[in-house]
Amino acid sequence: MARIFGIDLGTTNSLIAAMENGEPRVIAVGEKGSALLPSVVAIAPDGAVTVGERAIEMEPHLTIERDGRVSAVGFAGGEYGAVIRSVKRYMGLGGDEIAPEDRARYTFADLSGPVVRFQIGKRVFTPSQISAEILRALKDGAERALGSNESEKVERVVITVPAYFNDGQRQATKDAGRLAGLEVVRLVNEPTAASLAYGLNKMATGNVAVFDFGGGTFDISILSIKEGIFEVLATNGDTHLGGDDIDRAIVDWLIAGLPDTLKLDRHVWNSARMAAEDAKKRLTDATETDVVVELPGHSIRKHLTRDALEQIAAPFIARTLKRCELAVADAKLTPANIDAVVLVGGSTRMPIVRRRVAEMFQKEPLCSINPDQVVALGAAVQASVLMGTQGDMLLLDVVPLSLGIETMGGVMERLIHRNTTIPTSVTEGFTTAVDNQTHVDIHVLQGERELAKDCRSLARFKLGPIQSQPAGVPRIEVTFLIDANGILNVNARDERTGREHSVDVKPSYGLTDDEIERMLEEAIDLGEQDLEERLLISARNDADQILGALRKQLGEYGRLVTPGERVRMDEVVERLEAARTGSDRELIAKLVEELNEVTTPFAERIMDAAIKLALEKKSVEELS
Amino acid sequence: MGIPRRLTIDLDELERRYHELSRKIHPDRFASKGPKMRDASLRATATLTRSYRTLRDPVSRGLYWLELRDEKLADNNKRVPPELAELVFEVQEQLAEMQLSDPEEAHERATEIAARRIELQFKMDENLAELERHFAKWDQPADEKMLTLELKTILSNIAYLRTLIRDVDRALENSKAA
Repeated sequence: MARIFGIDLGTTNSLIAAMENGEPRVIAVGEKGSALLPSVVAIAPDGAVTVGERAIEMEPHLTIERDGRVSAVGFAGGEYGAVIRSVKRYMGLGGDEIAPEDRARYTFADLSGPVVRFQIGKRVFTPSQISAEILRALKDGAERALGSNESEKVERVVITVPAYFNDGQRQATKDAGRLAGLEVVRLVNEPTAASLAYGLNKMATGNVAVFDFGGGTFDISILSIKEGIFEVLATNGDTHLGGDDIDRAIVDWLIAGLPDTLKLDRHVWNSARMAAEDAKKRLTDATETDVVVELPGHSIRKHLTRDALEQIAAPFIARTLKRCELAVADAKLTPANIDAVVLVGGSTRMPIVRRRVAEMFQKEPLCSINPDQVVALGAAVQASVLMGTQGDMLLLDVVPLSLGIETMGGVMERLIHRNTTIPTSVTEGFTTAVDNQTHVDIHVLQGERELAKDCRSLARFKLGPIQSQPAGVPRIEVTFLIDANGILNVNARDERTGREHSVDVKPSYGLTDDEIERMLEEAIDLGEQDLEERLLISARNDADQILGALRKQLGEYGRLVTPGERVRMDEVVERLEAARTGSDRELIAKLVEELNEVTTPFAERIMDAAIKLALEKKSVEELS
Repeated sequence: MGIPRRLTIDLDELERRYHELSRKIHPDRFASKGPKMRDASLRATATLTRSYRTLRDPVSRGLYWLELRDEKLADNNKRVPPELAELVFEVQEQLAEMQLSDPEEAHERATEIAARRIELQFKMDENLAELERHFAKWDQPADEKMLTLELKTILSNIAYLRTLIRDVDRALENSKAA
């Protein structure tokens, strides 16, 4: 079967990796041969999609023109196209669950339904569809990077998710995979994946804490590693806590003095955000820096010291540490008896993060593997476990949130406790409350609170139809199973007849299967993207043709080329071969033209020679 | 799970077995083997996980032991265990008072309750130790009826303490939030 790839679908950057000769390796899919693909998706009013660095250029921001003027550029939003950043923060959520600052950033079609939808041009997009574009870009980039000869396809993948992602968020991630035409073999929790990358060659036995602080989410997982078995003991986190929040706080400080009209302008805000993020990064090594935002007419120029930054970041970091305490307690350990702490995620580069983590666990944290890449590498390791090529290694993960049902009085009755190893299942008996009741409704919830209304609604299941009977007589056995992806599956069986009951699932948040089917069909119709692809493919075919033909000709008629010509031809060939592996079809077309020109004299001579030969032959034939 | 059916369990051995079996039947081993096998492995592993959890925790192990003997704890739980009675009533009274008191008083009450919490935990640890000691008694042939009664008593104590501790913790959380 096809090779399984590992994908880190991150808030800020996404990566794809695979095992090469027993070692996990990230694949260079980015513009400049980088392994990081910014999780930024630009959708033009006509529906054209761009992902990555080029999409960032389309984000509304302020730019300095050649004449020194500052102007606003980029897709303004709504009907003028949009650039979606950090779409992960919207995955699996209903409109009412979106944080206010996230809601203010984009135009939405409908904030009342179970799935939030972006309004872009005349079209509506769900976060899963946007994420699917990122996945597709990773797929295409990887296929390009991997094979000119073998054309290896990316079809089966492992995708990582924050350990603290709830059922709806996980489902949305799976949906994104499906919409991108991928088979998602497994979802893996990010901290667990990171531990695989480290555990592969570092540690044989012990307790490990993985502190994963990324762009948008925070996870802390405590694992026990024993002879190749990676067993998660406890996990905790916050799916809306990350570097983005620190950036936002810096922006607030930066634009504090501006009038409201400017503060709310998307171009200003985005430019401020970029300046803030860059300054934050600079302060990893420097102790102070200038932060500048050029506005039309004047500029904001503030001085930021590392101390001031740490003060701004302090409350967010405090939240992460609180989660650590909870996880360590759930694991029935103390920070001291954890053998190693691993740092994952770009935000852990901040010196203050390292200090606080070292303080809490009383040891220096490990960060030898690039914190941006470690999750993708771990995903590749898990991919190899799934392919059966990783020996005895096995991952035993847990469900992060308790799962239960709503019972009489609006109480949440917990059926599966948080930090239970998955897969796990529990079976409960249900019966009817009134005579001749035809269906039994079950409301499934996730969370740790006492009352159902304080927990997160996961789905409503309708069991039935049930045969007419007095109340209390029917016995339906319902099995709640959480699979290895951390997603709930429900099966119902009539205890008396032994027959399977049909279970109609209405997810509280997220897309139904029908909706996904429809989206898949729509995607096939979306001609624009295919057109660009087809044009690129045809440009590449042109290049292949001319290169192949030239090779043959040189083989047969090499003697008809002068050394000078040969040198020039080789040079163009080299450039064309390089361009062919890229995606700039205009460059390819240009070089094909150039090669044509350079080889024209050669071609003419070949013609001459061929004609001469033909004539000679004819004369021989005529003679004989 | 392939270990002898006893109440005292070598936890390391249990874990070893769990890992061994997991390596064989976990769904990750069947990722490329077709939906039927994947489904079967999923169910089997879920059962395995449940078994491991039940056996690993002494309390659930004890409850399971009773279940195997068609005994239930529910009947005994109607009465408060006599030795805990005083403690239970006192704590419940304090919790009720905490609910009604005004903010200044509440802080004092919280401190009192926190002290109680330590007491409760101590009692809990005592009972858990008692449980382990009790398990050993089953290894020698003895009066099963008496042993069963004793087991139920200890598990009943633990159940009550658990509920109390949970209520106290919740009250402490609420007071912190206030």
